[in-house]
Amino acid sequence: MGKSVQKWGVPAKGHPAEPFLIQDSFPSVFCPGCGIGTVMHALIEAVREAGLDAQKIHIISGVGCTGKIPDIFGFRSQSSGQEKILDLVGRLEKEPGGSKRVALLNNADFFISGAEDFFMAARRGEDVVVVHINNFICAVSENGFFPMTPFIRRSVDGKFELPFNMPHLARSYGARYIARWTPLRAGWLKYSFLDVFPLKGFSYIEVISPCLIFNVSTGRIQDPVDRFQFYDMISEIRQDEPMENLDLRRGDKIYIGIFLDKTHKK
Amino acid sequence: MKLHINIHKERCKGCGICVEVCQTGVLVLSEKKNERDCNIPEVVAMDECINCRMCEMFCPDFAIWVTEEEEEAA
Repeated sequence: MGKSVQKWGVPAKGHPAEPFLIQDSFPSVFCPGCGIGTVMHALIEAVREAGLDAQKIHIISGVGCTGKIPDIFGFRSQSSGQEKILDLVGRLEKEPGGSKRVALLNNADFFISGAEDFFMAARRGEDVVVVHINNFICAVSENGFFPMTPFIRRSVDGKFELPFNMPHLARSYGARYIARWTPLRAGWLKYSFLDVFPLKGFSYIEVISPCLIFNVSTGRIQDPVDRFQFYDMISEIRQDEPMENLDLRRGDKIYIGIFLDKTHKK
Repeated sequence: MKLHINIHKERCKGCGICVEVCQTGVLVLSEKKNERDCNIPEVVAMDECINCRMCEMFCPDFAIWVTEEEEEAA
């Protein structure tokens, strides 16, 4: 048997992200092939690469699948439950220590309760990284269609409704960093996290996440690998696309990239 | 330097993403099942591994990782 090599200050035995995981809660509650695990892996890699103290990262989450994140990852974290999540962010501002706050939100946190807090937090320029894990539905309410569901006939009178254009909305409310990725671009998502950690201000990162509930219950893509690949296949990097065109009305194309970057990098 | 792929069988949910992202065909989804009846990946061609760590990065359940081991002097 050879001697294990310790690298990047991680334990020689075990997963490199092991110091950030709560051992008793594994295997996690997420579905096979859920995008949340990959997003968290990108966040952990970014924290490790930036050399940040893990205790300086404060994870805030709300209801539903992203609300399970504090049970699994060993950051300083808080689940707001049914409370308004970004309202919680405003109260955390008074904490000493200068921690970086990362709010992991899903569609329910935006559109059941909390949309107005999102606007107010962006307008006030709260120092928070909002990671919007967009799986197109509200998975907790059993495949309920939502304002983020792409272009589906669901009005009472049969008219088509368009999904919200969240990057455009965030920009109009004064966000300083706007990006959108899919989980198979986890490496670039990591670099987005590295961009926003030193940034003071409101940053918005949208992650188009494959969701088992959305795809299986609607009879679409049954296999986790196919789901991952589908979102990767239909996504296209268009960083100079006008913000008005970034909504997900077309089911066959997702524009991804960094749409707004006010980090003033040289 | 010798590479070693570690698979945490109890954490694995058998989604097969690691097998798909591996560019050199090191992993296959085997018929072996863990205690939760999920097919777990298996290393079939360790010599082909180029240490890209794609499997480690995309695993949503933190169940697979690559380690480097120093070979003992003969």
